Amino acid sequence: MTPSSRALLRPPVPWPALAALGTFLACLLFTGAALAHNVTEGDAGYVQEVTGFRPIAFIYLGAKHMVTGYDHLLFLAGVVFFVYRTKNIAIYVSIFAIGHSVTMIAGVWWSISINAYIIDAIIAFSVVYKALDNLGAFRLWFGVQPNTKAATLIFGLLHGFGLATKIQSYEISPDGLLGNLIAFNVGVEIGQLMALALILLEMTQWRARPAFARQAYVANVLMMVAGFALMGLQITGYFVA
Amino acid sequence: MTNRFDIQNAPPLRAEPRAMAAPSPGVQSVPATPGGLIRSTLIAAGAAGAILVLFWLPAEYNIDPTGIGALTGLTEMGEIKQQLAAEAEADAQALAASAVTAPAAPAPAGAAVPSEVIERLDRIDAQLAAIAALIGAPPTPVEPVAETLVAPEPVPEVAAAPAPDPVEAAVAEAAAPETGPEWRDEVSYTLPPGEGVEVKLVMEEGQIARFAWTANGGVVNFDLHGDGRGQNQSYEQGRAVPEQSGELLAAFTGNHGWFWRNRSDAPVTVTLRTGGEYTDLKAP
Repeated sequence: MTPSSRALLRPPVPWPALAALGTFLACLLFTGAALAHNVTEGDAGYVQEVTGFRPIAFIYLGAKHMVTGYDHLLFLAGVVFFVYRTKNIAIYVSIFAIGHSVTMIAGVWWSISINAYIIDAIIAFSVVYKALDNLGAFRLWFGVQPNTKAATLIFGLLHGFGLATKIQSYEISPDGLLGNLIAFNVGVEIGQLMALALILLEMTQWRARPAFARQAYVANVLMMVAGFALMGLQITGYFVA
Repeated sequence: MTNRFDIQNAPPLRAEPRAMAAPSPGVQSVPATPGGLIRSTLIAAGAAGAILVLFWLPAEYNIDPTGIGALTGLTEMGEIKQQLAAEAEADAQALAASAVTAPAAPAPAGAAVPSEVIERLDRIDAQLAAIAALIGAPPTPVEPVAETLVAPEPVPEVAAAPAPDPVEAAVAEAAAPETGPEWRDEVSYTLPPGEGVEVKLVMEEGQIARFAWTANGGVVNFDLHGDGRGQNQSYEQGRAVPEQSGELLAAFTGNHGWFWRNRSDAPVTVTLRTGGEYTDLKAP
């Protein structure tokens, strides 16, 4: 069941895998840059209008943010790319969730904010890092394998700062703040699980294809392209804004 | 601990692959070589750079180093986005400022610089700053010079080329123009491509003003809207409209009027005539 043994059985054209990849890239296009990291204008307006504990509303906003936040999703896809067993998937996703929950809530609670462009560029970098890690770059280039779980936690923490920075820019009311933050966070996790279900559905199909071993390399290079491009966009945004 | 740069003790070249660190348990991997991976990374960075330079930066930030964005029209998208963002920010600032100095009675014309003018200057500053940031030059401060007031006759044709001053608007405003008793005011503006202008009537709730405006053969985008006492309402919007006339019923007490923008490639002169019930016409 190793990928390399499967690579020996190459079918002519791996349509299902290409379709999966195509769908994924199309999703990137259609979400559009405006949605990249934003609770949209309407949501921001809503957040600024309301006070008090509104669990369902903030769960909804958290889930929406995650499902439409393609930099989070790219990283998540990278994390589970080569993790096959359900138990390990659960461990890695939990580590990521703990990481971003901690900094999201703590960041908003203590008003720790980082420039949105810089934190988004770091999040984009996490995508590049994960793609390189998946390709074994650090083992090949430096002879060391950085602890994958620790990296997932650290980047989870950084993703959480991104979420915190975004929430703070909406001047959320102090009335009911903690409850709303927790609700938002619950929403983020729900959104993440929803997205993860789709990602795993595609991944499971794809891994079962003999050509996966070959395409896995290309897929991670494409992930790097997306990460580098997002980094460039955010860094440019930092200097323009 | 072996020194990796110690030739004497170095393992022979082309020996067995270096003992690699084990991959993380539970995480699969894919065969790769160091050199191939470096090449792949560079290709990825190059592809990302091409996407950015050819499409993304022109469309989002109006940055177009290759000139290809101008050919594809994406640079125009970025330009409009930047302009709208600058204006939205200026509006937000003006709103915040007016909230502080709030509900004072409308200043008599001429007594102070009308808030519209300040608002507009803020927008221009923001745009200049954005442009300056792009071309790397420091923005020169814009003096709040009063617009040239020209006699009642329809504007003398202004130079067609876009002038450095973005609000190249020749104003013709007259209390009682020769158009007869029907109209009380007439204003005219020549808008270079991409520029806009806002004219408002000060009205009480329920007052009805009559108006007729024309782009004099061109077309403009417009937003007929009102604001005042914390209220804000858009009555009608249109794109590429040559002219319009009718009555304006003030839904609430405040300023009601038009924002026109020239999205065409050539300068357009907009002429507005107003009559009926309103206290004052506020024009830049």
